[in-house]
Amino acid sequence: MKDRVAIAGAASTGFQARNTDRSQASYVAQACKAVLDQCGLTPRDIDGLCGSLPTAPAVQSMLGIPELTWFANPVIPFGNHVAAAASAVYSGLCDVVLAYHGAYRMAWNTGSALKDPFRRGVTFGGGGVVPPESVAGSAGYTAWASRYIYEFNVPRESLGHVAINSRTNAMANPGAAMRDPLVMEDYLSARMIRSPLCLYDMDVAVDGADAFIITTAERAAGLRLPPVLINAVVLGMTGKNEEDQTPGLRQHGQHVTVEALKAKSDFWIDDIDVLLAYDGFSVITLNWLENVGFCGPGEAGSFIADNWVANEDGTGRIMIKGRVPVNTHGGSLSEGGTQGTGHLREAVHQLQGLAAGRQIEGAERALVTVGGFFFNAEGMTLRRGRPR
Amino acid sequence: MNVGNAGGRTAGSMNNEPADMSVADADVSDEELCSLFPGAVDRDSAAHLRGRLRRRLLINRCAECGTWHAPPKPVCPSCLSEHVVATPVSGAGTIFMAVFLHQGPPAEGVDYSTPYPVVTVELDEQPGLRYSSTVVGSPNEEIQIGRRVELDWIMRGNVPTPVFRLAGKSRA
Ligand SMILES: [Zn+2]
Repeated sequence: MKDRVAIAGAASTGFQARNTDRSQASYVAQACKAVLDQCGLTPRDIDGLCGSLPTAPAVQSMLGIPELTWFANPVIPFGNHVAAAASAVYSGLCDVVLAYHGAYRMAWNTGSALKDPFRRGVTFGGGGVVPPESVAGSAGYTAWASRYIYEFNVPRESLGHVAINSRTNAMANPGAAMRDPLVMEDYLSARMIRSPLCLYDMDVAVDGADAFIITTAERAAGLRLPPVLINAVVLGMTGKNEEDQTPGLRQHGQHVTVEALKAKSDFWIDDIDVLLAYDGFSVITLNWLENVGFCGPGEAGSFIADNWVANEDGTGRIMIKGRVPVNTHGGSLSEGGTQGTGHLREAVHQLQGLAAGRQIEGAERALVTVGGFFFNAEGMTLRRGRPR
Repeated sequence: MNVGNAGGRTAGSMNNEPADMSVADADVSDEELCSLFPGAVDRDSAAHLRGRLRRRLLINRCAECGTWHAPPKPVCPSCLSEHVVATPVSGAGTIFMAVFLHQGPPAEGVDYSTPYPVVTVELDEQPGLRYSSTVVGSPNEEIQIGRRVELDWIMRGNVPTPVFRLAGKSRA
């Protein structure tokens, strides 16, 4: 599949960290319309549809897409959607996929969603009563953060640098939800939510949506924007993948993803111009930096400190070897929790030259690592293709 | 086929099967069990939850190869045998991960004004076999990764809930 499938376009509504007066579907519609316009396509050109919520049948009906030959409703994070859509295109099940994701404030990501009566019925399903003693879901990352700190004697500042990097980058992204400067004093004095993690270690629940066009490299080359070729994509998991049964910090989903991605990809970390390393929780980014090979286990904090560009006002950002920035859009921590679409969209925009005030000059290759440790450690390598 | 139920036909073949387990199964109807654990019960987790009602922490163990697994599954992930039996563990183990919730879901008896400890404990029965719950009877400063724990029980509503206590700390 190497370089045979491309992302032809990516569009976003921008994100807001409040219960807005709009539905999830309305954001998805806005993002889908924007990406169709951007690529010069209409609903008639779409024959594949891929997203979580709303369901593909609901989105087809909403957008008046006349006929589909393929659709899927994968679970988050969004690497699942990319892999499914790319496979469908490559195998000929369909030709042009509209892939979408509505990030929406719901009870699972923010309790305050319940204050809005229109949101109470919007859920990822599941239900049931979750007792406080469970480490499934968000608490699982906090639990592993405790283990990470214990095994490697990591100071809180190492986690804080991830949050500050995302915030400083978000200040250059008009679509980001959180754009006020963040400095280490703010981080260290922030409200603890689930100790050892504080408010700034956890992604921001937002309203908004992203949408993408995924099609053959040939078709993408004839559209309006430079195609972004999917060089490789991997969804890695270990046998024990429940949050509390995952084997350890040297053996989780990221290790499977990284080994497979290195084997399948034509390039690796020395060749990339931008790294989008998932930061739904700050500890995840530290693990990705280590596991993709920038440094050894437990060393990400000092690696970041060695590759930190500090500003006089206390903000700052990671520039690996003075050249490669990380999470240039502001990541999940500051642009907003998009379950991977923000990282992917930013990679596409950087490679297409559309990243406006934060564009990396001549960016050609990106590594995108989406998701965490368990059933959600996903990665892809992307490169800029040539328009026809 | 006999799956994950200590009171099933094959239970007698297990040397470590306690004699009263079939009695425990008979005590509570399926309807009652599901109402006691809303949203949490299915055919594979029922034996574990029935065990809680008898203050027994039951973890699935394979009758073919002896491997334990959690959470409960209908087959043994090590050998794919369907002959898995919900089997008591001692509850003794070592804290592997430790979190303190400053906020969280509402639950009877849980007051987040003091951060609520949640630990994942590596059970002595098998490396990597873990169970998560809270720790009672010790201040948060003492609840640390690496500390030894033993099993205890608290009541949540009228349902016994397995919890941990730092080893050597007598019950209040
Ligand atoms: Zn077995």
